[in-house]
This record gives sequence, structure tokens and C-alpha cells, in this order.
Amino acid sequence: MQAEAAAVSGIAVALAGGAIRGSIPYIFVSLGECLTEKSGRINLGMEGVLLMGAMTAFGISDWSGSPWLGVLAAAAVGALLGLLHAGLTELPRVNDVAAGIAMIVFGSGLAFFFGKRFVAPMAPQLPVIDFGGWSSDPAIHSALRISPLFFLGIAVAFMLHYVLANTRWGLRVLAAGDAPEAARSMGISIRNKRMVATVIGASLAAIGGAHLTLYFPGIWSEGISGGQGLMAVALVIFARWSPRRCLAAALLFGAAQALGPSLQTAGITGYYHLFNASPYLLTLIVMIASCSHRRTLTGIPGALAAARN
Amino acid sequence: MKPASIEDLTVTPAGSKMAWSRPLRLPGLESIAIPVAALLASMIVFAIFCMFAGANPIGVYVSLYKAGFGSWYSWQNSLLRAAPLMLCGLCTVLPARAGVLTVGNEGAFIVGGLAATAAGLATQTAPAAIMLTIMAVAGGLAGGVWIAFAAALQHYRGVNAVISSLLLNYLGLALLLQLVEGPMHDPGSLNFPASYAIPESHHLGVIPRTRIHLGLVFGAIACLLAWFLLERTVWGMKAKVTGGNARAAALVGLPLGRIILLAAFLGGACAGLAGMVEVAAVHGRASQSINAGYGYVGILVAFLARQSPLRVIWVSVLVGAMVASGGILQRAHDLPDATVAVLEGIVFVMILASESLYGRIPLFQRVTDAG
Amino acid sequence: MSSPVLIEALGITKIFGSMRAVDDVSLTIRPGTFHAIVGENGAGKSTLVKCLLGFQDSDAGEIRGGGQPFAMTSPGEARRLGMGMVFQHFTLVPSLTVAENLSLARPDLPAIIHWDQHHARIAEFLGHAPFKVDLDRRVAHLAAGEKQKVEILKQLYLETCILILDEPTSVLTPAEADEVLGVLRGMVDAGKLSVVMITHKLREVMQFADEVTILRRGRCVGHAMVSDMSVPRLAELMVGESRTREEVEKTAPVTDSALALRVRDLAVRGDNGLPAVRRLSLAVHAGEILGIAGVSGNGQKELVQAIGGQRPIESGDILVGGRTFHPSRNAIRESGLFTLPEEPLQNATVPGMSVAENLALRKFDRFPLAKAGFLIDRAALMNSARQAIRTFSIRPPSPTVPIRSLSGGNVQRAVLARDLGGGDARIVVVSNPCFGLDFAASAFVHNHLLELRNRGGSVLLASEDLDELLKLADRIVVMSGGAIVYETLRAQLDMSVIGRHMGGHAAA
Repeated sequence: MQAEAAAVSGIAVALAGGAIRGSIPYIFVSLGECLTEKSGRINLGMEGVLLMGAMTAFGISDWSGSPWLGVLAAAAVGALLGLLHAGLTELPRVNDVAAGIAMIVFGSGLAFFFGKRFVAPMAPQLPVIDFGGWSSDPAIHSALRISPLFFLGIAVAFMLHYVLANTRWGLRVLAAGDAPEAARSMGISIRNKRMVATVIGASLAAIGGAHLTLYFPGIWSEGISGGQGLMAVALVIFARWSPRRCLAAALLFGAAQALGPSLQTAGITGYYHLFNASPYLLTLIVMIASCSHRRTLTGIPGALAAARN
Repeated sequence: MKPASIEDLTVTPAGSKMAWSRPLRLPGLESIAIPVAALLASMIVFAIFCMFAGANPIGVYVSLYKAGFGSWYSWQNSLLRAAPLMLCGLCTVLPARAGVLTVGNEGAFIVGGLAATAAGLATQTAPAAIMLTIMAVAGGLAGGVWIAFAAALQHYRGVNAVISSLLLNYLGLALLLQLVEGPMHDPGSLNFPASYAIPESHHLGVIPRTRIHLGLVFGAIACLLAWFLLERTVWGMKAKVTGGNARAAALVGLPLGRIILLAAFLGGACAGLAGMVEVAAVHGRASQSINAGYGYVGILVAFLARQSPLRVIWVSVLVGAMVASGGILQRAHDLPDATVAVLEGIVFVMILASESLYGRIPLFQRVTDAG
Repeated sequence: MSSPVLIEALGITKIFGSMRAVDDVSLTIRPGTFHAIVGENGAGKSTLVKCLLGFQDSDAGEIRGGGQPFAMTSPGEARRLGMGMVFQHFTLVPSLTVAENLSLARPDLPAIIHWDQHHARIAEFLGHAPFKVDLDRRVAHLAAGEKQKVEILKQLYLETCILILDEPTSVLTPAEADEVLGVLRGMVDAGKLSVVMITHKLREVMQFADEVTILRRGRCVGHAMVSDMSVPRLAELMVGESRTREEVEKTAPVTDSALALRVRDLAVRGDNGLPAVRRLSLAVHAGEILGIAGVSGNGQKELVQAIGGQRPIESGDILVGGRTFHPSRNAIRESGLFTLPEEPLQNATVPGMSVAENLALRKFDRFPLAKAGFLIDRAALMNSARQAIRTFSIRPPSPTVPIRSLSGGNVQRAVLARDLGGGDARIVVVSNPCFGLDFAASAFVHNHLLELRNRGGSVLLASEDLDELLKLADRIVVMSGGAIVYETLRAQLDMSVIGRHMGGHAAA
């Protein structure tokens, strides 16, 4: 009995820690995508941005010795990629979806290219905050080592919520995405708002990518992201375009992602791959449940709803 | 609605204007000139990239050419890569022409390979031709259903097909890994989990006097059939109308759902067939190796070919040559093979950007009275 | 809020191509008056007002404010004179609250908004405002009437003193309309506001306006004080006193002819989720043209889309020859029920495909264009296209150019060639077929519709052009608010009655 209880609590701890760890890329990418979509544009290329962010952070951290510089560099690179995507989609007759796919190919290509040059097994990592110090259990220790990016992510979520509700810029972005014609008649430049939102959004996504390489195990590999960039788009739909709900949903997705490894540490090794696929299954189920042919999704920015029809 | 103009009221038969007052117009060249311009622009950007990476761009291009087309050996390498690309390209092209954009090529490829392996193992006592046919049917069916599912989710449920098909890619991969480590696992494959193998004697053969397996023939025939289907049959017309303007399609009574599902099924079947070829001709068994990335490159091929099945044939050869040259870049120029991925990305972005040029360069527009 | 000044528009002319949208119109808006501009669709009301507000440059004429000439180059200029407009489509952001929408409208919004301060300021403004709205409600949750009030409040918040309204009551119930207009009337009486109201609702003009200007086909055909006017006289001026009833070759209508098309209790939702067609019933006989009159936005578009299979039907049904009709390809062909929606390029063609392919859209799957049941005979397709191009004088006469490169008139010719040219059509449902077409093209369309009728076919013609209906229809119904509100035989037609029904209220 006691052994079972210990096993269950062991899984629970591992899951909690894994959920927090795994949620960090989702937090940043979904917040970035949320902002971009609020302005009326969809960016499906976040997977490429995520990879470039991961690679840039690794490389700059390795080269400079400072992981925080790596994070900053990742943000800058993300902004550049966002600029490219914004520029591409502003051109007439360019399909937004195709542009996103192109960005994935381009971004991941660049990331893999530069990544090959880094033979160092591990770059200087971001300092972790040890929340498990009170416990003598090594499992709790390792589960509750939380990256500072987690707290940064929470801060960004609340900041984004604040900006969208309480600043002139935020209101104008919402107008541009929800009712572009009305916004134009008020003199708001739709193009500028979308461009800035896309750039900031991609920058955030890149920071999420930085977490992948600047946190244990901290190695760079080509498989480091498993579609999280695109799943974040589904996450934003699930969270009904609210930054704070994105935070909660990201934890949920992080937990789904941690399911496989958590079970493995507890000794349950069967159906390993299927458990690892639970985030994708979750996303698919979430999408099917949220979308509907007739009903407009609650909270969808008007410009996106028009584009879907 | 365009305002009426003086030109509307008069008819100017072609050639009636005086030669010196007629502007130069080359309308037929637009569909060639713009992609060529995009490719040239890509090559320039890539050359700059190479310089930054410390390699001589001319040398790189020469190596790329040699690796792709320099010798009969290189040609065969390129064609070997082109074969799955043709089929995977069709996986995007066919649904796209009917109006649905998906990226599920990879998933369809994998489940096609899985289904083919299972079918092959079940029928390996039969003569090779029968076993291979059954494998092909199984692979095609599995791939077809996979993509049709994503298309159905979009048409009937409003779920974005790009996202759902991407998720299905990962689910397909998980299924592959789970099966080759579990129920289909061959205990003999120690360090590298794989399924039981189909007998060597039953492998898909090669084109005589070459190293190229028959997958190339499948690919070329599939492209020709796809072209014929779209351009010469009634169903193809229905699909193009659905993809061109769904409202007009509804107006003339076309059954949108059925058309989209069939187009997606056919596209998925092509990718599934490519998966079958990968098993039957290259690996002989299902394993992690059949996740070779042809699916994603197939998307690039489809866009480069501007969703035209005939163009897919030679674009696949071109891109196949690019893919095949990864190794030589490493050996001769100390560039990682991901360099090819960068080139692919640049080309993709340029081709998309060039879409905005159609209809806007006066040189390529017809002079019509309609204005 | 400053007081309104005298606004004068003198000799405004605006030409689009060969069409005179506004032709030498002069308008005077005296301070503290309620001025109505009346006219049918296409009379030039919206264009005139756009010139007045600086959204468009006029080709001739002058605008004066307070006696001084003003070059109205941008809406900002108009704002300086205190002019502001409430559009027909809402310019509110649905996901934001009323307070957020009001704040966003003002150019002096600070970068960081302290809502408590801001709320207090808006609440204070609301204290003096004629309407009360809940500041914290999202606009998406407001009813149309409330949204309209917020739009007006927005203008007042911007310190507009010359308020221009474009069809303000088209989405309001009569009670809401009375409330809103009553309030505005009160503000006008108090000298705080001048109001210019574009409308086709004549009762409202009589009840609330001081002056009225009537436009028809871009010209000013009347101006008077409302006290000297009456609804019948207004209706006459609006639709044209003596309309030359162009006699066209028409065989006598067959009495008691068979019922060709019947719509029974049809309900259809619009794009915004609200009902657009409300339990509508009508019937078209063989050898008859039934005209649907009405101002746009009353459900005609949705009705035609529903019959054409482009919009789902909520309830009710469509019967052809007594049997329920579902717009499948076979049913369309068997019943001969072809629908020609408005804006044909976007709604009835595949813009990227060639003229020849578009011409074949209804018959490419049958002999002679299809061989062996599944192959397309391209030569036959081309020949058929060339014939159609010749017969219908489509320009340019090339079957291979993409149809989107054709002018509007030629696209409509192509669609007509496709649907009417084959002789397969027995019932045609058509909406605004001559919109944007010149005289020759319109006559062409009309002749084909008449030909169909004369040989026993049926036509359901929804049109915003009363002249067209008068010329073609045997019977006319008026559609308002998604339902049929009036029906008459052409022979017994009374223009003013029609005008009143189009104006949204029952005849006296």
C-alpha cells in the first residue's frame, strides 16, 4: 500500500515538475501567437521560430558564456523572423498558410545549419530556482527545479493581458484584428499593428525556444522541438484568445507532454511512444471539440473568422 | 466592379493597332518567367549565405550540379530521391487543387509504409507480384484514409487542416515507433528496432541496367495520371471548380464534401504508396528509417510546382538533386548537409513572394479591351 | 459642444467612368435643422455625402462651412467643421466594451489608460447624453438598436454638431426608430445639433425632418420644407412620377398557368447569425416574371442564395413542380431551376478559370462536352464556348482568357450565356442582373429574360431598380425585413404604394 502510494505520489511529483518544465515553450509561443492573432493575422511558422530561438540561445550562450545573452539573442532573431513573415504575408496574393509553412522550412533549415557547428555538448545554462530544497527526496528536488523563464512567462502573460486592456496601443491592436474596417475608419493603421504584433509574437516564441536548450539536459539536437510551434496555434484556440487562459492551457499541455517520461520514471515503460504522443492527441481532441462548421468560435478575432469562411 | 470605360464600347481586334503604337506583350511567358526569376533570386540569396558561411558560392553551385547531374551515378541518386518526392508532392497537390491545404504527407507516408509492411508480412508466401500489389493497395488505402480524415475534419467540422494533418504526422510517427517496438517487433533487430522483413526475393525491382527502383515509374505514372485526372476528366473539372470557388461550385450543384474527400484520399494514397515503396524497395522492413523526411520536402515540391502534377515531375528531379547533394557539400566544402535545407527554405520563401507578381507586371499582361 | 454652422454644398458632381453618380447637386444644411435626403438605391445619396465629408473628391462643385469655402480633402477637414457620420454598417469593435469603443474613437486617448478616471469622464458625458447605455457591456452583446445608439453617442462624444446618418433606422424596430429619431429631434430643436439623414423611409421624413431633398439617378429632383410635403408626393418624386413604361414584346400572361416554383415558409439566416428571411412564401407561375422589389439588405440576397444552394435553409422548403427541391446537380438539371446571384464574378464563376470553362460549368459532365461519361471533350468545349461568345457578344472574344479579366458587363453576358443560352433553363432566379451594366448590356439581359418568359419559362427577379421591375415583371412583391409585405399585379400598380412599402411600413 505504502509502496503504491509512494509510486503514485512519485508520478504526481514528476508530472507536476514536468508540467512546469514542459509548459514553458508553450507559454511563450502561445502568448506570441495570441498577440499575433489578436491583431488579425495567423502565424503558422512558429515552429521554425522556435527552432531558431533554441539554436540561437544555445550558440550565443556557448560563445559568450552568458545564458541570458543567449535569451536576448534568441528574442532578436525571433523578431527578425517575425519581420520576414509579416513582410511575406503583406504581399498581395500570398497565402498566409503557405507562408507559415515556408517559414517552418526556412527557420528549421537555418537552425539545423547553424546547429551543426556546435559541437559543445552543453552550453552554459540558465540558473534554476530550487523550489525543492525543503525536501530530502531527490525526486522532488529534480522535479521542482524551475527555470526562471517560467516566471518570466507568467509575467509576460499578465503583462500582455494588461497591455491589451489598458493601453491605447493594445486597444488599437484589438480593433485591427476584430473589426479592420472600423479600425481603418478610426485612422488606425492595420498594417503597422499587424507587423508589430507579428514581430513581438515571434520574438516571444523564440524565447520559448531558448528554454529548450538552456535548461537541463541542455543539448542541441534537431528533434528538440516536436511540433510545439504549431500546437501552440491550437492552444490559442483552446484558450479562446485570452493570455491568462493560454497560461493555464500551456500547463495542461506541458502535463500531457510530461505524461510519458513521468510514467517511465515510475517504471511504467509500456506504450512509451503512445504516451509521448498524448500532447498531439490532446490537441487534436481539443481542436475537434472547439471548432464547428457553423458556430463562430467565441473570442475569435473578427479578421480571422472572416478569413476562415 | 470596374467602372465602364470608353474601351468597353469599342472592339480592337488583335493586330489592328499600328505596330509602333502596340506595347510589347508576352503573356504566355508569365508562368515561366516569374518562377525562373524567383529561382534566380533564391540562388543569389543562397550565394550570399554561402559566402557568410565561409564557402565559395560558385564552388558550391558547381558541386551541387555535379552531385545532382554530373554523372550517370549522380543522376541515379537524384532520380532515386525524386521518386518518393513525386508521390509526396501529389499528396499536397491533389487536395490543394480541390481547395484544401494539408501538410500531412509525412504521416500518410509512414502509415502507408506500416500498412504495406503488415500486408507484405501477411502475404509473403504468395508470388512476389501478388504480394507487392497487395502491399501497394494497403499502403495506398492507409495513406488515403489518413489524409481524407484531416480533410473531413476541415470540411465538416471547421478544424484547420494544416494543424490537424501536422498532428496526424506526429501520431503516425508514434504509431510507427510503437508498432516496430511492440507487436511487429523482430527480435533479431537488436539495437535498432524494426519489424520483420519481407523476403529479399520479393523486393520491388529496379529499372533494368540502373540502380533506380520502380518507385520512379510509379511516381511518374502517378503524376501523369493525376494530370490526366485533373485536366481531362469530368471529376477533375469538378475538383478544380470546388477549389477555385466553392460558392460557384455550390451554385452548380456540385457535392463539395464528396469531391474534397476523394481528392484528399487520392493525394494521401500517393504518399502512402511512396511509403510502401520505401519499405518494399529500400529497407525491406518497417523501422524508424522510413521516417525519411520525404513528406515535408514533398510540400516544397508541390509549391514549387505551383500545384501542377506535370511540373511536379521535373521539380521533383530538381529538388531530388538538391537533397542528394547534401553529402558532397559536407565533404567538399565543409558545409553541413542542413545547407540544403536552408536552400530549400530560401527557395520556398522566394517562390511564395513571387506569387504577388502575377498579373502585375505589364510586360506579361495581355492587352484586352476589358481593361 | 460647439454649435452647428451653416453647411453648403454647391453644384457637386462626381463621375465614375461614364456614370454620373452625382450630377450637379446642391444642398444647404441650415444650422439647427433636421434635413432628410431621400432616394432609391443608386440615387447618389451615399456618394454625395462621401464628398461632403471628405471621403471622396468631387469632380466639380464647392463646399462651404459657415460661409467660408472648404477644400474637403480628408475626413479630418470635415471633422474640423464639426461634421461626423454614422454609417450604415457599424464601425464598432464587437469584442470591446462600449466604454472602450468610445475611448478609442477620440484622438486624445492617452497611451496608458487609467480606466477609473476614464470611466468617470465618460459617465459624466453620458449624464448629458440623450441615451443611456451600459458602459461595460461588450458591443457584440448589444442589440442592433443599442449599437446604433452607441454609434450616435460616439459621434456626440467626438463633439460632432452636424450629424450625418446613413439609413439609421434600417436595423431598428419602429419603436426604437422613434426613440432614436425623437431624441435627435429634441437636440435639433434645442439648437445643439444639425442632422442630415439619408433614408428611404418616408414616414420618418414626414415625422422628424424639417427639410427634404430628393435625389434620383444622381440629380436633385426636388427640395422642399417637410411642412409642404406629403408621403404620396415624396414617393412619387423618389420613384419617378411619370415613368415611361417601355413596351417590350410580351405575350399576354397566361391565366391559371401551372405553378412552376413555390417557396414555402422559408427561413434563412444571414452572415451575422440573425434571421434574414423570415417564413417567406411566394409562388411563380409558368410564363410569368415575378419581381421582388425592395431596398437592399432586406433578405433578397439571402433568399436567392438559399434557392441557389449557397446558403443553408433553416426551415421551410422550395417546391418545383410540386416536389421538394434540393439544389443537387441532377435536381437542378431536371427541374431547370438556375440561379444567377448578384455580383456574378465572385458568386457564380471561378475567376481563375477561362471563359470557356466557366461557360461549361453547368454541362461539362454531359454529352456533348463529356465523352464516355467521364472524359472532357476539349474540342467540343471550345466550340461550344466560341458559339456562346458569338451569340452573346462577349468581349474580348477569346475563350481562353481567365474570366476575371473581363469587364463586369461581359462577365454577366457569359453567365447569361451559360444559364440561358442552352435552352435548359425553365425557372430562373436572378438578383440585380443589370447592376453596373450599361444600357445596351441591360437591354440584352432584359430581352433574354423576356424571351424565357414568353416561351413559358418563369423568372423570379429580385431587383433594387424599380424601372427594371416595371419593364419586366408581371407581378411585383415588395420584400421588407425578410418577408413579403405587399403584392400587386403590374397592371394594378400604384407607384406611391410601392414606394411606401419599400419605405418599410404598411399602406394607409
